Amino acid sequence: MRAKRLAGFVISILALITLAGCRTKDTIPAQQVVTLAGWQSNLSEQRLLKQLIQKFEEKYPHIKVKYEVINSEYMSVIYTRLAGGTAPDVFYLEAFEAPRLMKEGALESLNAYVTTDFNIADFEKRLLDAFRNDGEIYGIPKDFSTLALFYNKQAFKEAGISQPPRNWEELIRYSQKLTADKNKDGKIDRYGFGVSPELARQYFMIKACGGELTDQAGKAAFATPVGLKGLQFVIDQYRKDQSSAQPSDVGASWGAEMLGAGKAAMVIEGLWAIPNLKDTFPRLNYAVVEVPAVCGKKGTMAFTVAYAMNKDAKNKPAAWELIAFLTGTEAMKISTSTGFALPSRQSVMQTFKQNPQYIPFTTGAGYATVWQGGERLSKIVTSFNNQFISAMIGQQSLSEAMQKSQETANKDCMTP
Amino acid sequence: MNRFYWSKAILYASLIFYAIITILPFIWALSASFKPLEEILTGGLSFIPKQPTLDNYKQIFIEQPIFLRWFLNSLIVAICVTAFNLLFNSMAGYALARLQFPGQNLWFFLILAVLMVPGQVTLIPSYLILKTLGWLNSYQGLIVPSAVNATFIFMMRQFFVSFPRELEEAATLDGLGRLETFFKIVLPLAKPALAAQTIFVFMGSWNNFLMPLVILSDQELFTLPLGLNAFKGQYVTYWNYLMAASMIFTLPALVIYAFFNRYFIQGVTFTGGK
Amino acid sequence: MFNLKTLSKNKTIRESFSAYLFMTPTILILGVFLVLPIIFAVFLAFHKVKILGELNFKWINGQNFLCLVNDERVWIALKNTAEYVAIVVPVQTILALALATILNAQIKGKNWFRIIFFLPTVTSSAVLTLIFMWMLNSNGSINTLLGFIGLPAYNWIGDPDVALKAIMLMNIWSTAPFYMVIYLAAMQDIPESLYEAATLDGATTWEKFLYITLPFLKPVTFFIIVIGIIGTFQLFDQSYIFSAGSGGPNNATLTLVLLIYQYAFKNLEMGYAAALALMLASVIMMATVIQRSLYREEQLK
Repeated sequence: MRAKRLAGFVISILALITLAGCRTKDTIPAQQVVTLAGWQSNLSEQRLLKQLIQKFEEKYPHIKVKYEVINSEYMSVIYTRLAGGTAPDVFYLEAFEAPRLMKEGALESLNAYVTTDFNIADFEKRLLDAFRNDGEIYGIPKDFSTLALFYNKQAFKEAGISQPPRNWEELIRYSQKLTADKNKDGKIDRYGFGVSPELARQYFMIKACGGELTDQAGKAAFATPVGLKGLQFVIDQYRKDQSSAQPSDVGASWGAEMLGAGKAAMVIEGLWAIPNLKDTFPRLNYAVVEVPAVCGKKGTMAFTVAYAMNKDAKNKPAAWELIAFLTGTEAMKISTSTGFALPSRQSVMQTFKQNPQYIPFTTGAGYATVWQGGERLSKIVTSFNNQFISAMIGQQSLSEAMQKSQETANKDCMTP
Repeated sequence: MNRFYWSKAILYASLIFYAIITILPFIWALSASFKPLEEILTGGLSFIPKQPTLDNYKQIFIEQPIFLRWFLNSLIVAICVTAFNLLFNSMAGYALARLQFPGQNLWFFLILAVLMVPGQVTLIPSYLILKTLGWLNSYQGLIVPSAVNATFIFMMRQFFVSFPRELEEAATLDGLGRLETFFKIVLPLAKPALAAQTIFVFMGSWNNFLMPLVILSDQELFTLPLGLNAFKGQYVTYWNYLMAASMIFTLPALVIYAFFNRYFIQGVTFTGGK
Repeated sequence: MFNLKTLSKNKTIRESFSAYLFMTPTILILGVFLVLPIIFAVFLAFHKVKILGELNFKWINGQNFLCLVNDERVWIALKNTAEYVAIVVPVQTILALALATILNAQIKGKNWFRIIFFLPTVTSSAVLTLIFMWMLNSNGSINTLLGFIGLPAYNWIGDPDVALKAIMLMNIWSTAPFYMVIYLAAMQDIPESLYEAATLDGATTWEKFLYITLPFLKPVTFFIIVIGIIGTFQLFDQSYIFSAGSGGPNNATLTLVLLIYQYAFKNLEMGYAAALALMLASVIMMATVIQRSLYREEQLK
């Protein structure tokens, strides 16, 4: 193995010196090659994926999988490669990015490939719908996660709070009690609540109070009195009560870090926070419950990623075999075993429902808002994130900021 | 005498102050690279790790078995790019500064203009060109496009403009051709400028991220920044690995700098002797 | 100049030939890998581009440019960027010159200072920005330090009034050493004999700096200012990381290149992004020309 690598290296150097030889592609004609691209969210997950690929290759000896990792700027790289006609045959696709790719015809419809024994009815409908356009399916969800409330049990005990908040009013009241300057230096060491001022995390707050992110035509339509009601809670808590903080306020990069480092007593995070907390803050005494109700309605976000097939895939049947294998029952059991995400197949989900730690997430799946919003979403996200923070720090009122954000998102000089 | 003494003291004090400002973030990053993640996140500002650990470095070497390969890829690319740049940029800079030829101003202007268009819009066209050449996923795809650099052509031109002409004229009288004059007389005298160029070009190539990210899909061919980026997770930032990685990153560039730095110390004397 | 006219025609041709020989690698490589893509970008700027599915272009006259004029965010980005350039370029140039002058003098331990001062330049700007964000958060070390000497704390990242200034400080801090090295290199080329002669004439250190060092460094200073202008006009990394790509709060950290990036890779409006890039290039060009003419006048004095 080492000798082979060394030989490859020497050859590369030779090729380099002459600057002439193109890289020789060592494809054996009898074998079909399928390229698979994705990002790597953590090392253990990647190890499992590599194991699965190996199993796949054992099962289908005529197919060879070439796995490519794109570690940042994922969609920019995918777009560039799509434009160049060199995109991978199968790739990860977030529900968030799907509408544009589906509409522009960059993806292969999977309807023709789905067989009865693949049992597509087993998939959580809401997730599958995120990759459906005009009755055609363009991606098979590989897993998903919802958000739930994580709270520090120790902090609750100290503050004399016996149970987690069930609604947003309670969350705000408890936050005040939990906000503390422990070393009495005049600066707050622990905030009641850690908040992420991004649309991806706030969308359900708009929905729960009766607002909508976009209208029928896909234009931003959230800057309405009902749409802002839920968001106003977030702003008021941050500005008036000063019992919440953003991760960057306390030098953290995300919610679980705030919770783990004791800088926030409650945060709303996804399933992925559990293995991370276990690794980084093994001594933290915390519990997870459903996200408190807003405007009397339960709400949370669901984030899902699918395997999608490139319209220009060279070997479509083989590419489908790979997708079908990786989203099959057996593979999904293995790939979700790290606990970073929930399985998208209901049959596999059964095992998760037995673990009490996962219940808030699996229950949330029943009423979650899938993180998606039409082709214009990326524009809406940029303008929302830009302006929402400005309302948080009190530069302008929420309605002003959101009005501006909505206008920016809807402005379209380019419509022909 | 007293005044002289005081001004000297102030000078050293401000130098030391500036040195502290510059070095503090590094010491902090260095110490963080020896801390477990939990301590980085909770420990605040302490520069000395409470539980010093080599785990972060170990993780990088063990979890990424082809780490050495990435390191070598980076090294090969950076060395080739630096060698080509030193030669080509100096040649072009010299021609623009010292030779008279039709279109001289146009070329100079074009080289400057090329710098003014941000890379974000040329990314896709560049990618398409590399694809047409069949250079995706290859060393030459990384090396050839950066074998010359407009910034440093400009820099070399500005250096050559203020070079004394006498030596070249003497060389011409001795019957040396343009090429010979350039390689035997001009380049050896341009050591400080070449040293500065070496440092910057090497560093630029060493840290280059976007282009490799787009054109390399084969992990075996990854350069160091691409490989190490894996430690920035989708949701989590592994500060501990990131800091260790950035230390591994910084070191070679710093060594190059320390080495070439000596060319700024031994000044080159032109006049007053052969 | 007069000399040139007396040169034989033959010699002029020979010189042109060798000049083009010297330029060949540059012309080839820059031509293929930079000029060609730029021409393509110019082409894109006049089209509506669809890059997904079938790549296709639709000629839309100058509508991209028309939209650009009416795009409020373009003007905000331009204002932010111009403010940034106007402050960062002079400060970093002067700082670099000062550091280089000091480190070129007979100073004890100057080698160590040179290495330490250079540290910010060797690290990738992404890592630096992360370290800075860490230090700049409300509870971070910079505020702790400010509190320690009795100064008020700021919300460096969140507050739009200071966010851009924080990025400015960071950029000056991290790029001044780069220019310092170039100045240092240029100073080595100043013939020692000039200083010796001046010393004999009784010139003070300051006079020597003013009448020998500065004029000699003129071409290099021109380079440093032009590259400084180009580099600062293209500010991207820091504002991208500071605002997580949004340019907020309320467009306070929005720069032109960040806007170009948003249009190109977030909204997939390639044609519009290209038009924006051409506008940026012409702004930089104008700034360079203005700087050059100012510089020339200075020279006459």
